[in-house]
Amino acid sequence: MSRWNNAKLVVFALAAGACVQAAAQTAKPLYPGVGRAATNAEIAAWDIDVRGDLKGLPPGSGSVSRGETLWEAKCTSCHGSFGESNQMFPPLIGGITPEDIKTGRVAALAKGGEQRTTVMKLSRISTLWDYINRAMPWNAPKTLTADEVYALTAYLLNQGNIVPDSFVLSDKNMAEVQARLPNRNGLTRDHGLWDTRGKPDVSAKACMKNCGPEPRITSSLPDHARGSHGDFVEQNRLFGPVRAVSLSGGAAVAAVTPPAAAPAADPAQALAVKAGCMACHTAKQRGIGPAFAEIAAKYRADSGAENKLMAKVKSGGQGVWGNIPMPPFANLQEQDLRTLVRWILKTE
Amino acid sequence: MADPMRIRATARDGAVNVKVLMSHEMETGQRKDASGKLVPAHYIRSVTATHQGKTVLTAQWGPAVSKNPYLEFDFKGGQKGDKVVVTWEDNKGEKRSDEGVIN
Ligand code: HEC
Ligand code: HEC
Repeated sequence: MSRWNNAKLVVFALAAGACVQAAAQTAKPLYPGVGRAATNAEIAAWDIDVRGDLKGLPPGSGSVSRGETLWEAKCTSCHGSFGESNQMFPPLIGGITPEDIKTGRVAALAKGGEQRTTVMKLSRISTLWDYINRAMPWNAPKTLTADEVYALTAYLLNQGNIVPDSFVLSDKNMAEVQARLPNRNGLTRDHGLWDTRGKPDVSAKACMKNCGPEPRITSSLPDHARGSHGDFVEQNRLFGPVRAVSLSGGAAVAAVTPPAAAPAADPAQALAVKAGCMACHTAKQRGIGPAFAEIAAKYRADSGAENKLMAKVKSGGQGVWGNIPMPPFANLQEQDLRTLVRWILKTE
Repeated sequence: MADPMRIRATARDGAVNVKVLMSHEMETGQRKDASGKLVPAHYIRSVTATHQGKTVLTAQWGPAVSKNPYLEFDFKGGQKGDKVVVTWEDNKGEKRSDEGVIN
């Protein structure tokens, strides 16, 4: 009933502006004239989070072996066949023992000094499911069905020796798997974020009246962490409101100002954002793909580079810069490809 | 006893592709522990792979190979359902064999 009503509402809205007001009046909106009620379908598409207590988990199931097939097709190129790759992200798998599964506390984490993998750190199974569901594969997020997410989660759990080869993961047995997670008891809140012997960052009690002055919220990195991944300014993506603080800038908490130039100022750059190129490339810093400046430098003297690179972006490929593949962009128009490649080749 | 290897063997385009993940410390013998003492060398020295009893790969490794080594190779002549057996032996004489079924 309500679904039908909403559908009718949208049709009216499209048909004539006057009807919108009429419909809005019947719905008694909180802010008259502003927007419209979200449809059930819109809410369902947005409301995908799975909570720690597994609320929000959709029904479905997937086996380890189906997960293995999917993994080989969609995830191996970046994470390695067994989730072991250290190339673009710390390994997903490794570092846990059968003893950890018994105690629920990963010994290697407590000891320190070992490289931390995803299965070592994971304390809630919902996190793994939710993350794959919303963010992976990196280059095509939200393309997996619920059954596929179950299968891939099952595969990763199997690689971590948490579930057997024959296991089928489903909404019915996620809670049982939670009880086997190697780091299920490893999460504590009673320590600082950077200094684990320090006091918790957030220890406030809710205050309803006569509260102190409005706090000023700032953020900063401790000095020892500032340079640990190079100068963030060089790695900052070209779009989005977040601007990195320069290492050479010195000040502990420098003001973060949005970029002066609107990203759309350069149509080629806007095109690169729209086409999804910036998920893997930046101007100066190598990410999943090479930096545009590196590409420009490599092909500066090559007169045939433009056509060659257009073909490469169209059909994808690997091996020139490493063994991570670039996916094909078969849907890009010839003209857009040329604009993009010319723009990339001009990067200083 | 070292953890089992992960082996995935897939028949494609007339050859069999084998991927292996081994679990081994691969200590170089050059590293010092927190108290400044050298950590003794402990690394895989040889790797062999057989298909239906016939050797399809042998490799001699040394301390330059990193921890938990990953190995991938192709060989001709395998069929779906056949077994591939991978064996390593390290400098302390410890050995480990595991098998994978081609699919
Ligand atoms: C194009 C490269 C790429 C592909 C393909 C890819 N990933 Fe990822 N994955 C990444 C990157 C990069 C990160 C780290 C993202 C971040 O921290 O923002 C990541 C992070 C993850 C994490 C979280 C690790 C953690 O501890 O936070 C999981 C789990 C994961 N990927 C699973 C998958 C699965 C499952 C697939 C296949 C459906 C997949 N990935 C495909 C690049 C990729
Ligand atoms: C999923 C990650 C990803 C995305 C998205 C992506 N690339 Fe790439 N790109 C790569 C990788 C990885 C390489 C290195 C490939 C290689 O080694 O052969 C690469 C290489 C390139 C190269 C150099 C090719 C060569 O042979 O030297 C160009 C040019 C390029 N990308 C342009 C683009 C453009 C334009 C887009 C957007 C339409 C794009 N890329 C989107 C990952 C990506």
